[in-house]
Amino acid sequence: MSVADLPKTEANVLRGHEGTVLAARFNSDGNYCLSAGKDRTIRLWNPHRGIHIKTYKSHGREVRDVHVTSDNSKLCSCGGDRQIFYWDVATGKVIRKFRGHEGEVNAVKFNEYSSVVVSAGFDQSLRAWDCRSHSNEPIQIIDTFTDSVMSVCLTKTEIIGGSVDGTVRTFDMRIGREVSDDLGQPVNCISMSNDGNCILASCLDSTLRLIDRSSGELLQQYKGHTCKSYKLDCCITNTDAHVTGGSEDGFIFFWDLVDASVATKFRAHSSVVTSVSYHPKDNCMISSSVDGTIKVWKS
Amino acid sequence: MDRDEDDFVFYGTPIEREEEIISRKKKAVAEASGNLRTLVPWKQEVRDEEGRRRFHGAFSGGFSAGYYNTVGSKEGWTPQSFVSSRKNRAEVKQQNILNFLDEDEKEELEGQSLGTSLQFDTFGFTAAELARKQAEKEQQKRPSAIPGPVPDELVLPSTDSIGVKLLLKMGWRHGRSIRDSHTNKSYDARREARKAFLAFSSSDAKKQTADPESVPGELESYIDLPASDDVQSSESTPVYVLYPKQDLHGLGFDPYKHAPEFREKKRSRLSDNKGIGYRSALSMDNNLFGFKSGKVAPGFGIGALEELDAEDEDVYASGYDFEETYVEDIDEPSRSIMEDKQKSVRKEPGVLSGFRLALNSDYQHERFDPPVVPKDFVPHHKFPGPLETGYKLGDPGPPEVPPPEDNNLKLLIDGVATLVARCGKLFEDLSREKNQSNPLFSFLVGGNGHDYYARKLWEEQQKRGDHTKQKLDVKLSPHMQKMTAESRGQILGERPLERSAKDSSSSATSADAIQLQYNLSDTFTKPALHGEMLEAAKPFKEDPAKQQRFERFLKEKYQGGLRSTESGGASHMSEAARARERMDFEAAAEAIQKGKWSKDSKLSTSQFMEYLSSGGMQFTSGGLAQAKDTQTENSITKEVHLKRKEYQWRPSPILCKRFDLIDPYMGKPPPAPRMKSKMETLIFTSDSGKDTKAEEIVIAKGVSFPVAQSDAQGLSKDVADKESEVEVEAENVERPVDLYKAIFSDDSDDEEDTSIHNEVGHPEKKGEAANTTLNRLIAGDFLESLGKELGLEVPPELSSSMNKVGNSVPPKGTATVNSVDSDILRVDNVPSSNHEILHSQEIARDGPRGNIEPVNGNSARSNSKYTETGSFGNQFDKIILEKATQEDRKAKTPSRRHRNLSSSPSSEDERSKKRSGRHRHRHSDSDSDSSSDHRDRHRSRSKGRRKGSSREKSSSSSRKHSKHHKHRSRDSPEKERSETKRDKHKRRG
Repeated sequence: MSVADLPKTEANVLRGHEGTVLAARFNSDGNYCLSAGKDRTIRLWNPHRGIHIKTYKSHGREVRDVHVTSDNSKLCSCGGDRQIFYWDVATGKVIRKFRGHEGEVNAVKFNEYSSVVVSAGFDQSLRAWDCRSHSNEPIQIIDTFTDSVMSVCLTKTEIIGGSVDGTVRTFDMRIGREVSDDLGQPVNCISMSNDGNCILASCLDSTLRLIDRSSGELLQQYKGHTCKSYKLDCCITNTDAHVTGGSEDGFIFFWDLVDASVATKFRAHSSVVTSVSYHPKDNCMISSSVDGTIKVWKS
Repeated sequence: MDRDEDDFVFYGTPIEREEEIISRKKKAVAEASGNLRTLVPWKQEVRDEEGRRRFHGAFSGGFSAGYYNTVGSKEGWTPQSFVSSRKNRAEVKQQNILNFLDEDEKEELEGQSLGTSLQFDTFGFTAAELARKQAEKEQQKRPSAIPGPVPDELVLPSTDSIGVKLLLKMGWRHGRSIRDSHTNKSYDARREARKAFLAFSSSDAKKQTADPESVPGELESYIDLPASDDVQSSESTPVYVLYPKQDLHGLGFDPYKHAPEFREKKRSRLSDNKGIGYRSALSMDNNLFGFKSGKVAPGFGIGALEELDAEDEDVYASGYDFEETYVEDIDEPSRSIMEDKQKSVRKEPGVLSGFRLALNSDYQHERFDPPVVPKDFVPHHKFPGPLETGYKLGDPGPPEVPPPEDNNLKLLIDGVATLVARCGKLFEDLSREKNQSNPLFSFLVGGNGHDYYARKLWEEQQKRGDHTKQKLDVKLSPHMQKMTAESRGQILGERPLERSAKDSSSSATSADAIQLQYNLSDTFTKPALHGEMLEAAKPFKEDPAKQQRFERFLKEKYQGGLRSTESGGASHMSEAARARERMDFEAAAEAIQKGKWSKDSKLSTSQFMEYLSSGGMQFTSGGLAQAKDTQTENSITKEVHLKRKEYQWRPSPILCKRFDLIDPYMGKPPPAPRMKSKMETLIFTSDSGKDTKAEEIVIAKGVSFPVAQSDAQGLSKDVADKESEVEVEAENVERPVDLYKAIFSDDSDDEEDTSIHNEVGHPEKKGEAANTTLNRLIAGDFLESLGKELGLEVPPELSSSMNKVGNSVPPKGTATVNSVDSDILRVDNVPSSNHEILHSQEIARDGPRGNIEPVNGNSARSNSKYTETGSFGNQFDKIILEKATQEDRKAKTPSRRHRNLSSSPSSEDERSKKRSGRHRHRHSDSDSDSSSDHRDRHRSRSKGRRKGSSREKSSSSSRKHSKHHKHRSRDSPEKERSETKRDKHKRRG
């Protein structure tokens, strides 16, 4: 994919959130997107047509992360009210609330079978919640982190968490091992490459770091943007050719994955770009910002 | 009479006598027969052979039905339920008749089965069976290392078969052939049989060659074989049946004799439903009568339409003696003989009648091809000598060729040719090797421009060579190129070239001796390089002494071997200066080497020279800058390797289930995985960790005598020592509890603690706090600038951001975070600041005792900060010296230095001491600060319950800190740095 194909032109602006949008996520096929914000709502959009579809209200405080199952039937969300909400997408009702985190919950993810929600909390723990049973107790608490866990990724067999303590820890369920990679800098977002071999970690020293998962080797560092105090998302493009991430000055950066050069950057928002999400198949991207907008970018 | 009496026993169990039982049996039988006849079916009673009522009817109440004589449970026959779980997979049980039989029935069955007694154990099978059973029984009695039944191979029959016994009695001994004892009488018969058998088998073999005509000749050879074989072999050999009889024809009868094409069909059809009539050769080993047990075909004999052959006679004459034959190993010899035969046939010029030459013979295949001579092979030995010329001086050289059109290529070829001529053939070989894939250099391996290159090279060599040598006309004799120098010399009447002559031909004079020496000792890449360097690389031209030293350095570097001890005129230099110079040299050498290799891809030598000279300029100007570059480079590469640690982690079974994985710890007892990892950290600390730990213990005990400390930590350590003297006893007392704590508490608590304690003071005394933060800021900046000067990678953005936040928080004090960064989720400082708010509020409630001490702590900390910066400054010189010593160490040492110097451990120590001291003092208040904190937290957050409880058991946090240290020192310095940094910021904030 050449630089020209990168999504740089603004296709749509999704307005509706009152206040900061903290997360914007494509669903698994990329036809819809979800956003969560400080206004305690989750919103479902069609980013390609710029339509607001539904609003999910139930959270008591800001919503920090949202994730949707691969069959688009369920949502999970988390936020400042220390709870994880398990929603039915169609009806907009909360099926279950998982309480147990002792602090704000920073990130949630479904597993592959949408049977487990794994949440990352400010209370230095990762917790796994069972969606199938009626129990509200976590089925697993991982509390080996020594600081707030900011982000979580799931593979078929592993749980990966990135924490402010500077570590990215991989918990492999098959062999029962925890592998801790110390980046030395607070990690505020981790994101998997599409081939699953690498982890992109956004660190608070304004650097994105690409780690080889098998060896723990630091493959590349991407610099140029500003990321010092906000939880800014980063991701790898659908072709694994570029790395993208927001900046605190409202820019969106694209780096070449291999040589770490800034492929392109452009001013996307007037304020901090909190979240970016790349379309799973097309050259399309959404970004959310503190200015309350979600923008859809296409090439 | 007896019967009548029996009938009147109603109560109790009568003692039954033998005769009574018998009589009752009789009666039962009689009654049964009578009842059957007289009573209606539903009134009939079933009795066993002993006359007891054993009704099997579940319908009539089940009079001990199905228990006493049917199945083995009181409940009767329960249908088998299929249960299979992940842990216990259902096994497929093989049922046999014994499962359904009672004991007595089994006994009966046993009695019915036929078996040979031990005495008449013909083949030893029974003995084997017996032995196996015995072994099984034994094994059941005592458990052995190998579970399960004993493998058959291990239990061999202990007795010989009856046949062997008989043979032994008849005088046969083990290892001898049976036929020995017989005389010529049976010999003839056997011979006949063998013949027949071989005829049979040979006709099989014949089919392989698909040449029916060749049979007679082959047969001849076969027949010859066994006779000699009989004579020579008196020992029994393993039976080997080449062609087991599988058909129903008579022995030796071959229905396909004249139609071999059908044999294959038959064979293939047989192999499809093989197994019925097939008996493996192995089974016949023991069974002499193996063949006899085969079915006798009705069509035994010769077919009606078959012709009678001479061989057929033999077959019938001997067919029935077949069981006597010990079939010898006929495979190998027959083959060889057959080959011999074929060979002899081949050798004859005229082909025998009935034979024809094979179209393709595998006999004359070319097995010993001469090795393929590569096209560019030059048939004379190449000495790896200096300036080895590819073409001798007397060589007319390759024909003149117009240069290639491409000017660049021409330039390149010119340059390489010059270089090769100057540096020797080795250089050519090297560059060829190196640029194999480079299309530009294809002329080296004979591609485009090769001719021109050859010519050019030759010209160069001529130029450089001795011009007095006779030059032959180029076009004189193209064929001469193929001749060696020696042969040519002989033709021309020259003296054969000698080594000295070659040497004289080479241009470089002074370098020669060295090069020769190198060639003897070193790998071949180096001499060329060095020779070149001697010519080209004089980076320190301005300073001849330095250049001299540089050359010596190069020599040492590439030659290896013994180092010259004297420093060569540099003895007056200081150690530091020498080290620095050495760094320069290293860098220069590296650059020269780089230049050399990059030159290969450069176009001409002139450019290379330019490059070198410019490089030389660079070195003389700023060696230190260069060194710094490499240093930063190293630090970057070092960073590539992240710290990776592995712990055991136990996923809960339900989690595994939900992820559709198999629980790796399934079935294992549940150890606390957390504890495990903590234990690991306790036990397996790295050496450095142990060191610091030891030091800490020393400090904790307040021992102030000079400990053997590393130079780096000395200063700050001393300070820490002095300060820690105050609170000695408390720690000693509390240690056991802390061990417990070290296992069960979180590292993070400690960090939080520090932050909490730090924050606590701020709202109360803002002025002081501001001062201290200012001081710390200055100190921090100083550290940063220091780090930068050292070429360390200091993450400045982070610190500045931290500073920013840290500054913004304290003045606002109790304001919530949400108000500070009103809109957004702020990442880094959220944890600490949240705590801070919680506790600052609570502290306010706590009253006066909480107010003053933290401030003390702060000021003390700022003091320590100063000492630490002071020590840092002192160390700075050392670092510079250190830096100059070794390249790779250089990258690491400063950072480690930095860690040590920043005295984060020691200052933290102090802090912990301070705090523990505070606790100590506060013990009069019956409660420690931390525990009260945690009780507050207990109230505010459910999390506090767990940690608080563990905390309340031990009232001091100092020990925890020492543990924390351990944990830290286990990490590599980088994390250390960052952590200390963060700590600092937290303190500041």
